[in-house]
Amino acid sequence: MSRGAGLPSVIVVLVLGLFVALPLYNMVITAFKADREIYDDFSYFPRQPSLVQFQRVIVNERLFVNIRNSFVVAATSTAATIAMSALAAFAVVRLRFRGSAWVARLILFKYLLPTSLLYIPLFIVVNNLGLANTLQSLIFTYLSFSIPFATWLLMGYFRGIPADLEEQAMIDGCSRVGAMVRVLLPIAAPGVVAAAIFTFTASWNEFLLALVFINRVDLQTVPVKLAGMIVGDQYVWGMIMAGALLSSVPVVVLYFLAQRFVVSGLAAGAVRA
Amino acid sequence: MVLGWTLLTPVLVVMAALVVWPFATAIWIAFTDKAIGYQGAWVGLANFAEVISSPRFLRSLRNSLTFTVASVLVKLVLGMAMALVLHQTFRGRNLVRAFFLIPWVLPAFVGYMIWRWLYDPLQGLLNYALLDLGVTRYPLEFLSNPSTAMPSVIVAHVWRSFPFYGLAFLAGLQNIPAEQYEAAAVDGANAWHRFRYITLPGLRHVILVVVMLSTIWTFNAFEPVYLLTGGGPADATMVYTLLAYEMGIVNMRLGQAAAVPVLILPVLGMFIVALSGLMNRGDE
Repeated sequence: MSRGAGLPSVIVVLVLGLFVALPLYNMVITAFKADREIYDDFSYFPRQPSLVQFQRVIVNERLFVNIRNSFVVAATSTAATIAMSALAAFAVVRLRFRGSAWVARLILFKYLLPTSLLYIPLFIVVNNLGLANTLQSLIFTYLSFSIPFATWLLMGYFRGIPADLEEQAMIDGCSRVGAMVRVLLPIAAPGVVAAAIFTFTASWNEFLLALVFINRVDLQTVPVKLAGMIVGDQYVWGMIMAGALLSSVPVVVLYFLAQRFVVSGLAAGAVRA
Repeated sequence: MVLGWTLLTPVLVVMAALVVWPFATAIWIAFTDKAIGYQGAWVGLANFAEVISSPRFLRSLRNSLTFTVASVLVKLVLGMAMALVLHQTFRGRNLVRAFFLIPWVLPAFVGYMIWRWLYDPLQGLLNYALLDLGVTRYPLEFLSNPSTAMPSVIVAHVWRSFPFYGLAFLAGLQNIPAEQYEAAAVDGANAWHRFRYITLPGLRHVILVVVMLSTIWTFNAFEPVYLLTGGGPADATMVYTLLAYEMGIVNMRLGQAAAVPVLILPVLGMFIVALSGLMNRGDE
């Protein structure tokens, strides 16, 4: 269907575009307004653009402390996840043995299990281990969703890569694991990048466990910190929108930098048709 | 064989500790009166009896179903519209595609905070715009009016996740051979016939997988309601996930809190079995 877009298509693009744009536009203009223009003297466009909301959320609310927390949690659990998941996905896909299909089923099972069920036992474990109010509690428990997800994605990706090259490397004297590290991983790099980005993003965005496990403001991750500001004092929306913008930057930049990998990784793994 | 199990060990240990054991424990807790710092004693089916007979649980179940069914249907329609227009070639298509993906790429909590602010009855842009356009003469209380709260939550959720449908359907459309459309054009099929007899059957599998995955995720979603309404007003948007959170963390009654999702599990289980069947068939 490569004929130019007709009138109905133009209308669909415009309507969907307006729907997508309006909330985003509202976030951006609010973040760049001073309180007077937000609350007393509304305007559809910031008449006197101001960085005061960013200054307040960074200086008064110390948002970068929370951004750092989110970063530590997401980066650490992503690194651990990718290392473990790559080995497991390799084992399931390349070393076909009894039990590997069973592993795949277990992964799918977790993938679909509600956090609202698991948060209770995980909360008890975290308390018993004395990890309440620590970032370690999040790094540890985030593996519960990131490992199944990353393993699933990588399994899909590895499956799409022919095994000949690894077999060739093994004939040339590589060990099985050596062939994986030297031959398979470099070819599968886009899939690994995609899995890492998804894992990082999912950890960055996680809300329920971070809400339950941590109640010290200086240890909260960004989502919980910003959500806590809603119920705080009255004139917070400028700061919240500035904070929302700041906390979106890392994941949006990651996504668009690696869009090519993400789309191919997603196509190979999650929604393989 | 030995190597296989060795490579799998780290993942299996983590899954056992963080998924299998907690899952079993959660079910056990649902049969006890456990609280934080208190071991908990076996109470049989008391939690289930109490939960099932509580109007709040039935309300939350109904709300979860409404939220899920309505969201999935609207996401399906908008996602299909997005995929169909982006499948055509026009100038700036990549830009439009990247733009449409933004709501899905943004962190979910950011999306829901944006909408909460957009809906604000006093200073929200939506009310200013509707008043200025003459659509309404009074500011609308989108989230604090019991009859509009749920639709408002659904709209915000659809905004956030319809691009995922669009992206998946777009990938599916690219797998439909162009010859089929050319042959149909020769036979004089109109746009509706092409959609009905070529596009839809070609996308059947993608649609099934996306709808089922998304149904489960939507049903289990916590953030949209927590961040937009907190379940209010007067439980008009209380969903089962938020109820389980409230019972456990606010009321500190872990046994009852666990009983809520355990009661939901059979429904989810049926979905999951059907889904894994579909996905495995797709693998062959």
